[in-house]
Amino acid sequence: MDTAFIILSLITVAGAVWAVTLRNLIHAVLSLVLFFFGIAGFFFYLNADFVGWVQILVYVGAVAILAIFAVMLTHNLTAEDEPGFFSLRWLTGMAIAATVGAVLWFAIRSNAAMSQTAPAGVASNVADIGRKMMTDWVVPFEVVSLLLTAAMIGAIVIAMEQISHRK
Amino acid sequence: MYNFFDQLFVALGAWLVGLVVAAGNGVSKLCCGQPMSEAAAHNVAAGTQVVLICVTIYGVFALCFGLATWLERKMLARIQNRYGPNRVGPFGLLQFVADGVKMLTKEDIVPARADKLVHFLAPAIVLAPALLMFGFLPFGRNMAPTDLDTAVIAFFAVGAGSELALFMAGWGSRNKYSILGALRAVAQMISYEIPLVLAAVPVVMIVGSLSTSQIVAAQGTDSFLDVKGWFVWTPWGFAGFILFLIAATAESNRSPFDIPEGESEIIAGFHVEYSGFKFALFFMAEYLGMMAMAGLGVTLFLGGWHGPKLLPSWAWFMLKGFLIVCWLIWLRGTLPRLRVDQLMAFAWKAMLPFALFNIFATAVWFYLPKTTFLQSAVAWIITAALVVAAYLVISRFVSRRAGAPRVYRYAS
Repeated sequence: MDTAFIILSLITVAGAVWAVTLRNLIHAVLSLVLFFFGIAGFFFYLNADFVGWVQILVYVGAVAILAIFAVMLTHNLTAEDEPGFFSLRWLTGMAIAATVGAVLWFAIRSNAAMSQTAPAGVASNVADIGRKMMTDWVVPFEVVSLLLTAAMIGAIVIAMEQISHRK
Repeated sequence: MYNFFDQLFVALGAWLVGLVVAAGNGVSKLCCGQPMSEAAAHNVAAGTQVVLICVTIYGVFALCFGLATWLERKMLARIQNRYGPNRVGPFGLLQFVADGVKMLTKEDIVPARADKLVHFLAPAIVLAPALLMFGFLPFGRNMAPTDLDTAVIAFFAVGAGSELALFMAGWGSRNKYSILGALRAVAQMISYEIPLVLAAVPVVMIVGSLSTSQIVAAQGTDSFLDVKGWFVWTPWGFAGFILFLIAATAESNRSPFDIPEGESEIIAGFHVEYSGFKFALFFMAEYLGMMAMAGLGVTLFLGGWHGPKLLPSWAWFMLKGFLIVCWLIWLRGTLPRLRVDQLMAFAWKAMLPFALFNIFATAVWFYLPKTTFLQSAVAWIITAALVVAAYLVISRFVSRRAGAPRVYRYAS
């Protein structure tokens, strides 16, 4: 392991740990941003600079802002009414986390791409990514686009309903 | 002679790097009795280059920031029929030095109930993207600080970091005006980022690369004048340039899009609670961001460092950037501030569809044959007609409700 990897890991792990342990929710979201930056750093470390920049653009530029808005709409920012350690909420949370973790673990382990090592000295090329997306992966790409469009229309419909209720 | 001035700074940088490597060799001989190994010498040279680039960018643009504040005050004074700063130095030119000293010696006030850490970090974080953005712009021939394959998207990604910093400033201050200003800033910057990026897309489509160096190279010709290839002369380039300028003004939170600060409504928005040098850092970030946006506008649409070979390439880059900054100052002195709902409607109902249509027009331009002069003229006219028609339809559609009074949805 070289120094860059250790520094990036420290940043990423610290961000992730603070994001779940800090009591102040805004601080937690800001630590999450630190975590996003760490992940972007890992992409740069792996020579995938396009993915790294997109990570910053999407996660820091949009998802973090979305999370902040969500936090600001919640009532209790400092979580004074913290439930005890062995409450039902903790149990359900742990069950969900374990399920998601297990699914991810098996999905990643069973993926053939995981056993390959990256060819050395190959930098990612934006043009290649674009070409792949428009040829081999055009159906998944279009499906995702459709999903996002549906989500957007859904958001607009929800907002419009509120307007008509107010009148 | 021309080449000497054109490559002056490149040669100067190479000379300094050589000096540092020679000094390193000397030290190495003193300590170990032999010069540095080849790998070590390479590392020293690369490290020196990085330090030189950083120091040059910080130094040059910090000075530009100082002069831009003076220029802005002078120009606004001229527009408003008064003198402006004229006490310190000739024409008040040293006013920014005096202001800097004043800022440094002022008391740093932190509100008692502020979120101390976030309040402290925000001014530092807001400056980082503004400085980083300069790292992706080619300032002259052979004068690109970095030559990334993904420079344009990197520029926008880095710029996206500043909205978070503004939010941190507003939140950390624990002041109603601050948080209102921060939320306005976030909403505005997210909305205008979309037309900003979409305005840059046609250039990327035509060049076929996200690298700023290649975008500049695609606009160059071998002729003496070297202005023919600029993208701003094409219909889509012109429309994209206008869109880019408007969105860039909004991204750097400048009048008429300065509702996050809105002195008459929310005092000074997100930086109400900052004093002394922390306030100066916000000020600096705004100006540096504005200059970096001007630099990207020059790179994407105005041919980068290309220009008539009477001036060195870096002089052309700076001159064009300077003209855009002057235009922004002129705009600030001329137009009143927009209302929040007008601002949002303008971004989503006018700029976004127009930017999307501009991309379509660019695709039409791309596929039209342009080998002979007549073919190019026909392509130009067809694309121009498309762009103008789109502008007319969208502006009619939008202006129908532009003068309507504001509907208060949640506050009435």
